[in-house]
Amino acid sequence: MDLAKYRALFAEEASEHLSEISRSLLELEKQPDSREAIDVILRLAHSIKGMAGTLDYDDVAGRAHAVEDQMQALRKANRAATAAEITGFFESLVGLERAMAAASGDEESRLAADPSARGSEFSMQRSVSGTERCPTAVALARTDESGQERPGLPELELPTPPPTVRVDTAVLDRFLTTVGEVILSANLLRSAAVDVPVSPSFAAGLDRMDHVIGELQRRALDLRTAHLLRIVEPLPRLARELAQQLGKRVEVEIQHGDVELDRSILDRLSEPLVHLIRNAVDHGIESPEERRQRGKDEVGRIAIEASREKDSIRLEVRDDGAGVDLEAVRRRAIEAGMLIPDLAEDLPPAEIAALVFRPGLSTADAISTISGRGVGMDAVRATIEGLGGSVELATDHGKGTTTILTVPMTAAVQRVLLADVWGETVGIPVGRVHSVVEVPGERIENAGGESFVIVDEVPVPVLRLGRATSGESATLVLVAVRDECVALHVERVVGHHQIYVKGVPELLAGVRALAGLTLQGDGRPVFLLDPNQLT
Amino acid sequence: MVRMLVADDASFMRMMIREIVEDEGYEIVGEASDGLEAIAMYGELHPDIVTMDIVMPRCSGIDAVRGIINLDPGAAIVMCSALGQDSLITESVKAGAKDFIVKPFRPEAVIETLRLVLEKES
Repeated sequence: MDLAKYRALFAEEASEHLSEISRSLLELEKQPDSREAIDVILRLAHSIKGMAGTLDYDDVAGRAHAVEDQMQALRKANRAATAAEITGFFESLVGLERAMAAASGDEESRLAADPSARGSEFSMQRSVSGTERCPTAVALARTDESGQERPGLPELELPTPPPTVRVDTAVLDRFLTTVGEVILSANLLRSAAVDVPVSPSFAAGLDRMDHVIGELQRRALDLRTAHLLRIVEPLPRLARELAQQLGKRVEVEIQHGDVELDRSILDRLSEPLVHLIRNAVDHGIESPEERRQRGKDEVGRIAIEASREKDSIRLEVRDDGAGVDLEAVRRRAIEAGMLIPDLAEDLPPAEIAALVFRPGLSTADAISTISGRGVGMDAVRATIEGLGGSVELATDHGKGTTTILTVPMTAAVQRVLLADVWGETVGIPVGRVHSVVEVPGERIENAGGESFVIVDEVPVPVLRLGRATSGESATLVLVAVRDECVALHVERVVGHHQIYVKGVPELLAGVRALAGLTLQGDGRPVFLLDPNQLT
Repeated sequence: MVRMLVADDASFMRMMIREIVEDEGYEIVGEASDGLEAIAMYGELHPDIVTMDIVMPRCSGIDAVRGIINLDPGAAIVMCSALGQDSLITESVKAGAKDFIVKPFRPEAVIETLRLVLEKES
């Protein structure tokens, strides 16, 4: 029997099992007498052993067997697991994971040497005859056991293909880019049709095309989405391991990990989340003794909670640790010259907390000495804002810290306000726009080389994007930049549009204020602005 | 053609059994991924023979054997077990299983065991 096609299936199934074992071990740690957790681990380890044995992955099978034995013994003893035992279980799991990785690594190198063996990915390929076949079937038919070609044989069909296909993400991305091009081309066609008289059937055809393309766009966006769980799943383990190194105890709870968001956003969220968890364990959660003294449970708690808000996802990372000493942050900010001492006294706590995201304050030696956090928080903010999102921090000294990340659900389709600037059209994400106001030109005042305008009795900085309009009225788009409001002075607001965002071409990659590009109906480009980068 | 039901929580194992037996002209009429599903599918499909994994979620293979024997005392069930599960095999046979095969599977052994069980049944 040709085992090649089973190897990828094994890797996939076993890695799901390993994640579940890891989850159950964390569960067992919380509830050391959980018979259910023991049973699940026992069953999954047994299953991995069976599969690995069949494929001659002896090391994996042996280690899975060891995990099974450990669980079996605990089950027989009919008592709660000790902390030392649980640490031992985690060590066994790490061993099993490494053995799996080694087995998969061998597999990868084997496949690299013999790409024809990469059958079980079930990627669609066209065979010579032009019909779509599973490459495994082709490989089975055309090669003998030593991998030699057997050209004379007829092709076989694989009995039943599985209900899912595994597709290389690069292939998927190319497909989605093409869908984007189709949408843009349809827009071009539609606006061209406005200028010429068309027959009713042509108009009906256009309507139908619009409908189908709308459907295509929705399906394409579905393909781009994935569960948040994909990136938050490893965090409880990470927190546990880090806590152990530091002699602390931590439990991480994930709420609503099933929210879905764009893969491209998801992939970039992973690093900031890891960072927040590290910070929470390292600087937030206190040592068990300290927690006892403060009347807290010895085990620190971190919660990652996701929720959906219209077009965005809100992620809260909460811990019940020491919190940030805002007084220390205030002092440090004054020392660093970020705050004028007189003004610093009146600054509300939320604004002091926001200082933690400033680069000068968020270096390790600057802040890890004061109780709280901040290591690399500027990097967290940069990543989140780069995604078109925002980040906030709320803290209660002695009680804990909550960091709130808000990111858009999708990066591909955005609703933008279109405005004219120097003969070009720019797009400003509608989510960032407070309002659009027309003010007499003389209301824009200059002071100290900077322009500002009074809106609702508050001075708002003005950033001129368009040509000067002296004397006449000025069109201002008020946008949120971090916690502040900024007025973008444009020549004219054209309207708003749902656009399919294309990446910035390499030539313009250096222009940081440019978040993306799209084409208008007439083929002219729209430059999508990132308000955070304008100031 | 022999109609067969495969019960195993690993799709990997189900696929492998499928390949082994289909080459011998068996027809897989159903695949169950836990014991409860196996009982329900047996009642619905009335296959000629069943391969049953022992360790499965929700309801173990042994309990599933009891459930199926309850529905059909003559059911032909072959247990799939890993090495060293002797006591579980004994328990399965007591529950009504006819024979067993041991993982990792050798295709010839699987086919031979199934053939013997079917012969005895007829």
